[in-house]
Amino acid sequence: MQVFKRILKEIEKQKALAAILLMLFMMLFFDTRFYTAYNLLDMLNSAAILEMLAFGVTLVIICGGVDFSIGAMMSLSGIITIKLMDYMPLWAAILAAIACGALVGFVNGFFVVQQKTEPFIITLGMGMLLKGIAQQITDAHPVPAKNLAFMKIANSRLIAGIPNLIVIMIVMLIIFYCILRFTSFGRNCYAIGGDYNVASQSGIKAVKIKWATFVICGAMAAFCGVLLSSKLNTGSSIYGDATALSVNCGCVVGGTSFAGGIGGIPQSFIGLLAIQLLENCMNMLGISAYIQQVCEGIIILLILWVDNYAQKRKSEAV
Amino acid sequence: MNTKERVKTFLQENLVLMTIVILVVATALIEPKFLTVANLGNLMNQFGPLSFVALGMTITIIGGYIDLSVAGIVSLSAVFTISMVDVLGQTGALLAGLAAGALMGLLNALVVVSCGALTQAKALFMTYALSAVYSAAALLYTDGATQHMSHLTSPTTLFKGIGSGKAGFIPVSFLLFFVIMFVLHLFLTRTQTGREVQLTGANITATDMVGVPVKKRVALVYVLSGVLSAFGAIVLFSRITTASPLLGANYETNAILAVVVGGTSLAGGRGSVIRTMLGVMLVTLLSNCLNLLGISTYIQSVCKGIILIIAIWIDRRRTK
Repeated sequence: MQVFKRILKEIEKQKALAAILLMLFMMLFFDTRFYTAYNLLDMLNSAAILEMLAFGVTLVIICGGVDFSIGAMMSLSGIITIKLMDYMPLWAAILAAIACGALVGFVNGFFVVQQKTEPFIITLGMGMLLKGIAQQITDAHPVPAKNLAFMKIANSRLIAGIPNLIVIMIVMLIIFYCILRFTSFGRNCYAIGGDYNVASQSGIKAVKIKWATFVICGAMAAFCGVLLSSKLNTGSSIYGDATALSVNCGCVVGGTSFAGGIGGIPQSFIGLLAIQLLENCMNMLGISAYIQQVCEGIIILLILWVDNYAQKRKSEAV
Repeated sequence: MNTKERVKTFLQENLVLMTIVILVVATALIEPKFLTVANLGNLMNQFGPLSFVALGMTITIIGGYIDLSVAGIVSLSAVFTISMVDVLGQTGALLAGLAAGALMGLLNALVVVSCGALTQAKALFMTYALSAVYSAAALLYTDGATQHMSHLTSPTTLFKGIGSGKAGFIPVSFLLFFVIMFVLHLFLTRTQTGREVQLTGANITATDMVGVPVKKRVALVYVLSGVLSAFGAIVLFSRITTASPLLGANYETNAILAVVVGGTSLAGGRGSVIRTMLGVMLVTLLSNCLNLLGISTYIQSVCKGIILIIAIWIDRRRTK
């Protein structure tokens, strides 16, 4: 029993890393194209956008919130960029889309932080609203982009043959890591997530900081939407349908807890990488899409279960 | 209490009813077709599926939890029931569908209780993930194909009766809804178990200490929600005679919308199924009015999102 408990504890701490190693090990025994530079680079390239979404969401989760409107925001911002491109220069269109994302984050923050409502349902409602807007703008059809420069943002390789998306992701990873690790804003996020009341009574501007995390998350979602549309050269209202659940849960897979105050950017990065790797492995093994969905659902459920169970034990220990 | 305060409390208590009256009068003035017998029958018909799901959601919310898996339950139980008609006969299939709903509800309760998710916020995630599992299972079960009632060889008179039968000019599904709502209302207000469910919602720790088997009450709440969602699914596919594995999409947000708009507090322990009926009425009326006024479904979903956010906001301000 003692041994079992210790093993459980270790896996709990490093569950995502353990899962990644296990998958990499397992793939050695199958004769697939998994271990080719092309596949691994391509996987990282397609993971990049979800990873960047996760960086914004991590800030929110560490502050004890959650944002389920990111999927719809992502698809909407791509559509906004493509629609605005005809009327203004490209950079202005992209900035406008990101500003929209920040605005949506601001509204989310108003309801969730300032008015203290349940973040899950408010952002779910916000997602419904944004998707409605996206469908109305496009009449639920995909809209193609006509500007070649726009497509090049995500699809070219400017530095040493590495796809741009991966470069952007690494830059963002470093920026967000530094924000959380070395600035007072980042450290205060942990304090707020750990205990909201204690933090605000010790003089931290809890409302403002938590509100700011929602704004950053919204802007980040919009930025990712621009990149996604650039990568696919189209905007569509259906892009973000399943994104919110997998990104939010991907953060938890890595060890960022919904309890707030626990985790960080590297953890979320590893967590999402694990989910992407799982998807890639299943694709390589030729497992049908529906079975993949079931597996993903069950795995997410298991992870949430373990996360909750750990929280329960933590509160019992106190 | 002076007049101003009295008016204010009256408005706060009966906000939904007032909105319904305003909506009816405004639409009737703009579009005379609204008050025809055909449209009113149509309106009662539209009441159907969502009203059953919302009843289940009300009970979970009063019990202090929430069930986001209803979307998955609706999809899976619908395709399951249709596929069972040729195997078990129509009555058997109906019962099997309801049993499947109950089973999924039980699974929800097991998952939520076993990891010690004692708050609504935690149950939200768990049931949302469960919804993804059920929806994927529905896709897997049908291989993504839509199930058609017309392709069945066995008789489906029972389902046709539930879906589109009428007693006088009142649809059968509406009558069924009324009966179930009445029974649930009596259950919540007049029986000991029902009272215990309300207490669990108000303060689970205190209720546990008094000696109420709270885990059993939570399980009961989820099973009821599962069964009612499955019934909603049956009403839905009986009317449209097909069941796609994506049938239940968005049902969770619509049901929460109806419950919260009706005035049942998300904080738990307070509210009633009768209020939910008003909420469902408002939501159905709203889409009926917007349809009659020729407004696109996309804008309707924007409106619903806005109303959901505002309703939760008002609920929060009221309980604060």
